[in-house]
Formats: sequence, C-alpha cells, structure tokens
Amino acid sequence: MFVRAGVRTPTHNNCDNRAACGVMTEVRTDPTIAERVAASTPEPLARRVRGLSDRAIAWAFIGPTVGLLLAINIFPLLWTVYLSFTNYRANRPNEEILWIGTRNYERVLTDPDIWAAMQATAHFVVWTIVLQTVLGFGLAWLIDRKFRGSAFWTTIILIPMMLSSAVVGNFWKFLYQPQIGLFNYVVSFFTGIDPSSFDMIGSVTLAPWAIVIVDTWMWTPYVMLICLAGLRSIPDYIYEAAEVDRASPWRQFWSITLPMALPFIMLAVLFRGIENFKMFDLVVQLTGGGPGSITELTSINLKREAFEKWRTGYSSALAVILFVAVFGLANIYVKALNRVKQR
Amino acid sequence: MATIELKQVAKKFGNNWAVKPMDLTIADGEFVCLLGPSGCGKTTTLRMISGLEAVTEGAILLDRRDVTWRHPSDRDIAFVFQFYALYPHMSVRENIAFPLQAEGEKKENIDKRVAEVVDLLRIGHLLKARPSKLSGGDQQRVALARALVRRPAAFLMDEPLGALDAELRETMRAEIKQLHLAQHATTVYVTHDQVEAMAMSDRIVVMSAAEVQQIGSPAQVYYDPANLFVARFIGSPGMNLLKGRIDGERVQVSGAGNTVPIPASYRSALATTGGDVVAGFRPEAAAISGNGGSMGGEIYAVDMHGSYKLLHVSVGEGEGASIVHIRSDRMAPYTIGSPVRFDIDPDMVRFFDPKSERALGRGIASPAARNDSKREVGQ
Repeated sequence: MFVRAGVRTPTHNNCDNRAACGVMTEVRTDPTIAERVAASTPEPLARRVRGLSDRAIAWAFIGPTVGLLLAINIFPLLWTVYLSFTNYRANRPNEEILWIGTRNYERVLTDPDIWAAMQATAHFVVWTIVLQTVLGFGLAWLIDRKFRGSAFWTTIILIPMMLSSAVVGNFWKFLYQPQIGLFNYVVSFFTGIDPSSFDMIGSVTLAPWAIVIVDTWMWTPYVMLICLAGLRSIPDYIYEAAEVDRASPWRQFWSITLPMALPFIMLAVLFRGIENFKMFDLVVQLTGGGPGSITELTSINLKREAFEKWRTGYSSALAVILFVAVFGLANIYVKALNRVKQR
Repeated sequence: MATIELKQVAKKFGNNWAVKPMDLTIADGEFVCLLGPSGCGKTTTLRMISGLEAVTEGAILLDRRDVTWRHPSDRDIAFVFQFYALYPHMSVRENIAFPLQAEGEKKENIDKRVAEVVDLLRIGHLLKARPSKLSGGDQQRVALARALVRRPAAFLMDEPLGALDAELRETMRAEIKQLHLAQHATTVYVTHDQVEAMAMSDRIVVMSAAEVQQIGSPAQVYYDPANLFVARFIGSPGMNLLKGRIDGERVQVSGAGNTVPIPASYRSALATTGGDVVAGFRPEAAAISGNGGSMGGEIYAVDMHGSYKLLHVSVGEGEGASIVHIRSDRMAPYTIGSPVRFDIDPDMVRFFDPKSERALGRGIASPAARNDSKREVGQ
C-alpha cells in the first residue's frame, strides 16, 4: 500500500508486577498525507494542495522521476527494438527506412565474428569472476583476522579500484611491454625465461589472459570489500556456539563462514558479471580488441558495428539480443540469490 | 556429569577487574545461579568456565581435570546463549544435529539422539523450519536441544530467558528446571533476575562489582544476607533497612517511637558495635497491629499484588525519614494517607554494620534459615 492513514496506536502499557494497573489505550488518528503536506507548505500553495487525494499527491511526487525515466530509458529501449527490424543507417538520415523483418537477427546470429566476440566475452567474464571471487574472498578472510595494521592494508588493497579504468589500461600497456615492461621482468625474475620472449598484448594466446589479469588486479578489491561486509555480518556468538559445539576450524569455515557469507559473494558475482559483460574502456585502452580481433568483446564489436560501420539496424538487433540474454540471466540469478538470502 | 571447581579465578580487562579472585565448587548435578546486576562479572565468570574467555589468574577444574587453558571444544560443556545463537542458514534439525556431526557421529546415532531430545522438548513439529521463523521461546527450546543432544558434562546458560516476555519466561523457567531434574546435569545459570534465581537454583552466587557477595541456598540469601547489597538485591522489594542506635533490648530507628526488637541470640554480637547499626527486616516480617505496635507511619502508597497488598509506609520525619515496605492482607482496607502501626517478628530481624556493610552476628540466623529452606520463599 502506498498510503496509510488513520493508524491506531496503543500506547505502552506501563505495568510492572508491583503496581496494580489496567490496560490503557489511546487512539490517535494520523493526518492524511495531503494534510501533512499542506501543513508544511506556504499558504497559497497549501490551499491548492489541501484538496488533493493521497493518491494524487503520491503521483505528484513520483511523476517527474517516472517522466524522466520514460524519456531517457524506456523510450530509447523501445526505439532500439523498432530500429532492429529496419535497414536504418544513422549516417544516411535521408535514405528511406525499410521494414525488413527479422533479417538483422538472422544476420547477427549467423555471423562468425559475433560468435567469436561472444566467446571472447565469455572467456573474459568467466575467468575474471572466478579469479576475483577466489582472491577477493581470500583477501577478505585474511583482513577479517583483524591483525595489527589490517586497516592500513585494506586501504592499500583498495587503491587499484579507485583509479580510472582508462588510466589503468594505459599504464598496464607499459607494464606489459616486452622490453621495458615491469610485468615481463617480474615473470622472468621468478621463472628465468627471457622477458622479451613473450608479449602479453601482442600474442594471440596471451592477450585474452592479459585483459583478465588487469581486470582482476583492478577489481578484486571490490569483491573483497563486499565479502568483508559479509564476513563482518556473521556475529561472534555464532562462532562461539560452533566452538562449544566442538566444530573444527575447517568445519566452521565450510558450515558457517562460507554459507553465511554466500549471499554477499553472490551479490559480488552479480555486480562483476554485469560490469564485465559490458566491459569496454579498459580493454579498448589496453589492446584495442587486438591482436586481430582476439580480445574484441561484444561491447567493442557492437560499438564498431554501430558507430564505425554505421549499421544501425544490424547493431540494434545485436543490442537487443545482448539485452535479452543479460536480462534473462540476471533474472534467473537474482531469483537464486533471493532463495539463498531467505534462508 | 561433572563437578566444577573455580580456584582463585579472576579476570582483568586492562586495569579493571571484571572478576576479582573467586572460589566456587559446584557439585555434580547441582544447579547454581550466578546472580547480580549487569556489569557485575557474572557473564564473564560463566564465559571463563566455558573457555570462551581466558582467565587472568586462577585455575578451573572440570570433573577434577584442570581445563584452565583448554579450548571450549576440549571441555565437554554446552553453552546456551542469551540470543540463542542458532545457525540461521540451517534448519532446526540441522542445528540440533550440528554438534553430533562435528564429532563425526554415525548417521543412525545422530537420528536417534536428535529424535530423543526433540521428544524431550516437544519440538518435533519444528524440525524443518528455519530458526528465524520461530518464536523466541521455540528458538530457545531449539538452543536447549542443541545443548542437550551431545550429553555434555555441564550446561552453562547465559541469561537464556532474558530475551523472552514475562509469561513465556515463567513457562520456560519451569521447563528448564524440569529438564535439569530429568537429566541431573550440572548447570551454571547466569541471570540478573533474582526471582528466576530463587525459583530455579540449588545455590545462588550473588555477585556485585566484580566480587562474590554471598554463596548460599535461595533461603540463605533471602533470610540471612551476608551484607547490605544482598539484602537490598534479593527480594522484590528488597529488605527494609533502617539506620538506628542500640538502646537496651531494642534498636531505635527513624525518629521517636519507632523501635526494632533485638532477639536474645543477637545481643552479645551487637554488644561489640559502637551502638550504630542498620536493622533489616523483610516486608512479611511486619504484622499490622491495631494500635500499639513498635513502629508506625503514614501510608504513602498501596500496591495490589493479587494475593496480598504491599504497603509503602513513610516512617519518621526529617533526616531519619524512610519508606518501609510491609505486606498486608489483600482485603486490608488501607488508604493512602492513613496512619498505620505494626510490630516486627524478632526472629526475622537482621543487623548490619553501617560502615563495613556486613551482616552482624551472621550464622546466628543461618541454622534457622537452612531449616527454613522448605518454607515458601516469597518474592
């Protein structure tokens, strides 16, 4: 219910076993929302407001937001859906727009380049989530030990997340330089192989991992923060109960820590999944989709189709397909998350 | 089942004593309450027995085995928390089975034991529910079941009924007492509610300001308090305590015309004092007498308790004025402002040193108090 008026409130029954007492109930009627708004509004406006129903007031409050949402979110979405059934090209506005049915969808789904981009995206999303969740939870678990200086280390760990992703993409390009790059130097220091013998960005086999490493470096702190909130939400007395119930530390971790932090972990996975599905800036700065189109994720591919090749109808169809896929997956995932949270 | 022994056990947080060195021996199968106002160290004491808190000094023996530096999991104890501490992501059944699973018990044994305790606590219909869906009383029953299922050497309960409403608390109090009688398990029970402690325990340890004030049966702490704190804390309302001067065979209190009798057995004990004493008596020790009576005053308030009335009587004037609580018949027609006179049963009078606040001539009343333990202990 949006509006509730006329609430009956029983007052506290000041009773202790010493004093004889009866139950006293005071009835108070809350003013309607219109009356309350009127009371805190200048008089000329108040006169107009006073006559409105609660429902009308409610609409007056949410109207601007709903209007804005319709104009900049819902309308473009519907417009994109419409364009995806046409041959419209945004760089030729004067050309006749033809309704071509599902031809764009057929083209998208049979295009091997699209499937390659989908694969690159899947590789990127899955590996970043796996690595960030494992590392992020691990770090959170260590920080949660509350050792001396843990606050200091938390701040240090959070720094990558605070940087702009364009900057991160740019300087990792230098770190990945085969001749002068720090990354290659460190790898060679620990493994003994020649630093210039491999090129993280230039190699077809290494480039997909190069972007996974950078994204993990940058966003593991974020997952750590959420997991830390999850771990801190487990009250100490639960561990004390487990301790007197004679659960080993190993069992405490698997039957208490992990299941109780699970909703938070799942939330982190959801956020990172959505973010990385639409990953663009970091990868564009780092590899530009190369070498070839090995690291060309769907969002980069989409941008090329829409604003370099100007195939607006075609790219609208791709956008709709991506939207449906992400929306569907996210919905299923949120249902699972809610089930976990309800336990 | 086991005995519990505390030898000069103490706890310091920083420079503050949470518990000053204390000795306590709990017999096998005994039900002992740690009673005191909040912050008196009773919960810290319990947590030290459980091992959840390390001791600063002293030794703890469980079944004559020194467990001072053992982990809680090595002590074979069960702990019932004030806020239940059930595992929220597990069903009731999984919660109860958890201690057995942690010990690696066989599945058929787990099923059997869970069925037993579930039967005992009558929570069979709840097994599939999540703890958060249960009422406070049911949650506490589940917590008790989880504690009982392993058959530990001792039960430690930290205000298990503190979070329940008054009516439920009385039901659960009886249930816990019943469980204790059925299991004959050594139990240490922390509470700030003296009614609860009086109703349930074999012995009460009264604590205040990190120190043990008195250890004794409910009847002993009620009829023969060791000091002014215990006298005030036990009973609702507490003992009437009046400053006075010894005047022959009576103590002169609260201005002219008010005296409290000194029983013959106390006379030599009181002779050593300088003459100033605090006289104490329970509300039920006063008997209203039409006229005459060794004390009198004006009725200040009347509380109806159902089976009796509690009169607040304003006695004396000026500096010595004080409010005395006396118990009267529920039908007694006293109105606020009317005068009343009463006598005090000499056997029920206790005396305290006003400086040290300790009871004078303690032990004189003790044998009587011990014999009295069968007598109904009023609240």
